[in-house]
Amino acid sequence: MAMRQTPLTCSGHTRPVVDLAFSGITPYGYFLISACKDGKPMLRQGDTGDWIGTFLGHKGAVWGATLNKEATKAATAAADFTAKVWDAVTGDETLTLAHKHIVKSVHFTQDSNHLLTGGNDKVLRIFDLSKPEADPQEIAGHTSAIKKALWCNNDTQILSAAEDKTVRLWDRSSMETVKTLAFDVAVSSMEYIADGEILVITYGKTIAFYDALSLDLIKTVDAPTSIHSASLHPEKDFFVAGGDDFKLYKYDYSTKEELESYKGHFGPVHCVRFSPDGELYASGSEDGTLRLWQTAVGKTYGLWKCVLPGESPHTSRFVWYIPGNFTVGVDGKQCDVCVRVFLGVT
Amino acid sequence: MKTPVSVLRLPRGPDPNSRGFDPNSARFLALCPTTVSASSAADAHGVALRDEQRARSLLRERFLRSLLAMCGRPVRFSMYEKVQVEAKFGASDIDVLNFQVSDLQTPIGVQKEALLRCPDIITYNFEI
Repeated sequence: MAMRQTPLTCSGHTRPVVDLAFSGITPYGYFLISACKDGKPMLRQGDTGDWIGTFLGHKGAVWGATLNKEATKAATAAADFTAKVWDAVTGDETLTLAHKHIVKSVHFTQDSNHLLTGGNDKVLRIFDLSKPEADPQEIAGHTSAIKKALWCNNDTQILSAAEDKTVRLWDRSSMETVKTLAFDVAVSSMEYIADGEILVITYGKTIAFYDALSLDLIKTVDAPTSIHSASLHPEKDFFVAGGDDFKLYKYDYSTKEELESYKGHFGPVHCVRFSPDGELYASGSEDGTLRLWQTAVGKTYGLWKCVLPGESPHTSRFVWYIPGNFTVGVDGKQCDVCVRVFLGVT
Repeated sequence: MKTPVSVLRLPRGPDPNSRGFDPNSARFLALCPTTVSASSAADAHGVALRDEQRARSLLRERFLRSLLAMCGRPVRFSMYEKVQVEAKFGASDIDVLNFQVSDLQTPIGVQKEALLRCPDIITYNFEI
């Protein structure tokens, strides 16, 4: 039975949403942080989009936001020339890290002890969060503003993308460039998938996939519009992308075939990310909203409810969804199965 | 004609009156032990907890009354970057993030009306 995607709209921001990030899966579920030009990044429950809190303190547009794996710390990068570290449980500001220009990107190491920042002063900085008064390590080299900086290869290397139309791979200990990728235009977004060492880069209308260790090109896919952000599904079977034409596109990663496109946003899509369990993806737009989209449309998950034909969503029956992937032996391929248990109520 | 997927409800939006991070949520209670040890789970119903709560209420009430006592009075603020200013205190916002003051004396002149960011304030003094 064909179902039409119902995106869940998360309102609250008053200006464009420019960045978003998910945490890992924690005992309390997973979380989502959104960076907004209104200067007030928000934390939401990842699977429902419910607002949890707003991090108050920045005095300018927030350009980048991230959570550590456990969702206990958050970091934000802002136009007020600071990066801030926050307690993501209480919402309190823990640290303010001064910079010399607009900060665009923040990223925690896996142990949450170090924070990588990058911004308009073209310098990458590594802050030791246990010694916040100490000067950060600085890595210079980019000749234009840094848009995104990420830890990779088990935090031993750094990937950075800048307006100088390059993506560089740096060695953390030597602080030297290991490899440089040059493009005709500045890269619009970058996503690093640790499991499988894949780098997803978008530029122009292209979504490109690289090996994150060698920076060898794996494949490229062209979209119908200028793409601002793309994200690869954790199982690497799909990827999603969004950009200038306000739509979200879903592609098959192996065949590069465009599977679906979804309308919903009222402005260009600036960022899109898959949740850590791959069940949904979130998009942030110029229209000031975040939207959550189902990977498997029609599946019961979060606030979405699977309704059988002839059944209204309000019948007095209990429907339980048992999460997880069950292997179904169809040509040896693993398929997701939605297991539903019905309790008849008379 | 495709049927749209049903939704139980819409995602909850921000509370206009607070910055969130509900201290009664399961995550907060589990991950944020209070600074006073009596509040830990081991003594959940003990006398020590009751005393602690009484002390907290007393302190909170005293703080709120101190804010009321400040209204309309000149207050001296010591802030970061070695800033010392004096102003007439007006009001605080609900999260105590901003103080509304009048006639703020600054090295570059007197500001008729101003908002002081509380995270920037180290101490403040006033005479009752």
